Amino acid sequence: MSIIIIKNLTKVYSNGKGVFDLSFEVNEGEAFGYLGPNAAGKTTTIRVMLGFLNADKGSCSIGGLDYRKQAAIIQKNLGYIPGEVSFFDDMTGMSFLYFMAAMRGLKDRSRIESLISRLELDASGKIRRMSKGMKQKLAIVTAFMHDPDVYLMDEPTIGLDPLMRNRFIELILEEKSRGKTIFMSSHSFDEIERTCDRAGIIREGKLVAVENINSLKAARRKVISVTVATDEDVRKLKESGLEIESVSGNHVDVIVRDNFDSFIAGLGKCRVRGLGIKAQGLEQVFLKYYGK
Amino acid sequence: MSFTLFKTTARANWVTGVIILLVMVMYMAIIISMYDFEINEMIELLPEGLANAMGYSEVFTGLTGFIASYYYCFLIIMFPMIYCIIVANALVAKYVDRGSMAYLLSTPNTRLKIITTQAVYMLVSVTVIFGVIAAIGIGMSEAMFPGELDIKGFLLLNLGALCVFYSISGISFLSSCIFNETKYSLALGGGIPVLFFVINMLSNVNPDYEWIVNFSLFALYRPADIINREPFTVLAMIILVLIAAILYGSAIAVFNRRNLPV
Repeated sequence: MSIIIIKNLTKVYSNGKGVFDLSFEVNEGEAFGYLGPNAAGKTTTIRVMLGFLNADKGSCSIGGLDYRKQAAIIQKNLGYIPGEVSFFDDMTGMSFLYFMAAMRGLKDRSRIESLISRLELDASGKIRRMSKGMKQKLAIVTAFMHDPDVYLMDEPTIGLDPLMRNRFIELILEEKSRGKTIFMSSHSFDEIERTCDRAGIIREGKLVAVENINSLKAARRKVISVTVATDEDVRKLKESGLEIESVSGNHVDVIVRDNFDSFIAGLGKCRVRGLGIKAQGLEQVFLKYYGK
Repeated sequence: MSFTLFKTTARANWVTGVIILLVMVMYMAIIISMYDFEINEMIELLPEGLANAMGYSEVFTGLTGFIASYYYCFLIIMFPMIYCIIVANALVAKYVDRGSMAYLLSTPNTRLKIITTQAVYMLVSVTVIFGVIAAIGIGMSEAMFPGELDIKGFLLLNLGALCVFYSISGISFLSSCIFNETKYSLALGGGIPVLFFVINMLSNVNPDYEWIVNFSLFALYRPADIINREPFTVLAMIILVLIAAILYGSAIAVFNRRNLPV
């Protein structure tokens, strides 16, 4: 059953940017990634889904409820993490959490306590003085505290250190195993890959693909930098049938998709002095969708 | 109307109200205590234009008239106006500008409920300010000059001023609901009341300019007419309350419909 249904959704800003004719569905219990580089329209989509923005055309519903007319009812069962975190700065973290709980009519605070300890959040100080990572943790606790059925998260791991990022991913997987529906945006495929079943890829406001994670993994293009011992090794690599992006001295950048076996076999013939994965933006990872 | 939000809003804004009230009470005390001095001589020391601009040209008789001319023509307009501009902006536009409105809207409360709560806070706080001023004014007058104050007239002066500020706060509140950024909210929501205020002062300076007062909402508030019980003042209060209802109603409708980039 589809929990989130978006049909022909269009929202154009006065500068011509926006999202155009989006259609996709997210099933109950599914984790759906929403991938796109910055300014592709991820946040706009989420703001419409929450009913903050009015769509120019099309419709959106969550749990069968209209995104705009029944926004308050949708919110009962929805956890939202905004992309830009901005709280009531003068409050302490704790008083903010209790305020949000009261606004939700939430009496049971045990989940708040357990989330705070899991994320190692220090909520005693004023929000104004908190670090970015601490504020992000506060946003996560706020979204999870009422144990909602649906999560909408706009780049939820921004500002978290790698350890906390992993803990957050554990949290997501746990919620998923409890049958929760998850929609999260990101500009990094690695994050989506670990949590999501399917992903939509958005480019300049248009949805260019909705694929399951495995076919995206197959389409993914990794560049591995190989440092070899001699020019002879460079020549061997070139002749091995592997796709070479560039060569400079003894460094060879090899493009690998899902052909890791032949890559390893190719390396086997050379003396390898170094190996590393080149960091790339989403556009390079998915040239297929982002190629001009 | 959300009581939780109301409490939080009050906690964030009460200091502004208290500061404005303290300043207003201080002036009230000064003016009442000056009653038995020859204030007219003092006013004569001021340049004539300045005294006129501040509405000190008509000096009424008796304590009530005295307070009406020295307090209710100028001070009672300026300080609550500053209060309305600051607080109306803080109640809506500031949250939208900063993005924290997103948190209010991500709770199971309708936009209507949230914006109504903010509007109620604005109206209640203005009412409290004038209520306190009226009570303190009566208390001080009775303490310093027992039996001299026309209490009913004095209460009407405050009621009239309250009606004016239901309208003025409505302008600032509507502006706060329209704009995404506080700079625009303040420009319109502060600009219009300040313009009215300046027009009011200009019209006092020179009888030739008296007609321009009709372009100011403050034209509907005439302390001299109120203490003389002119029938027009009742109509003026009704008009002011109607204007306020239209302004607040529009503010709520605008907020309900608009795009919120938070």
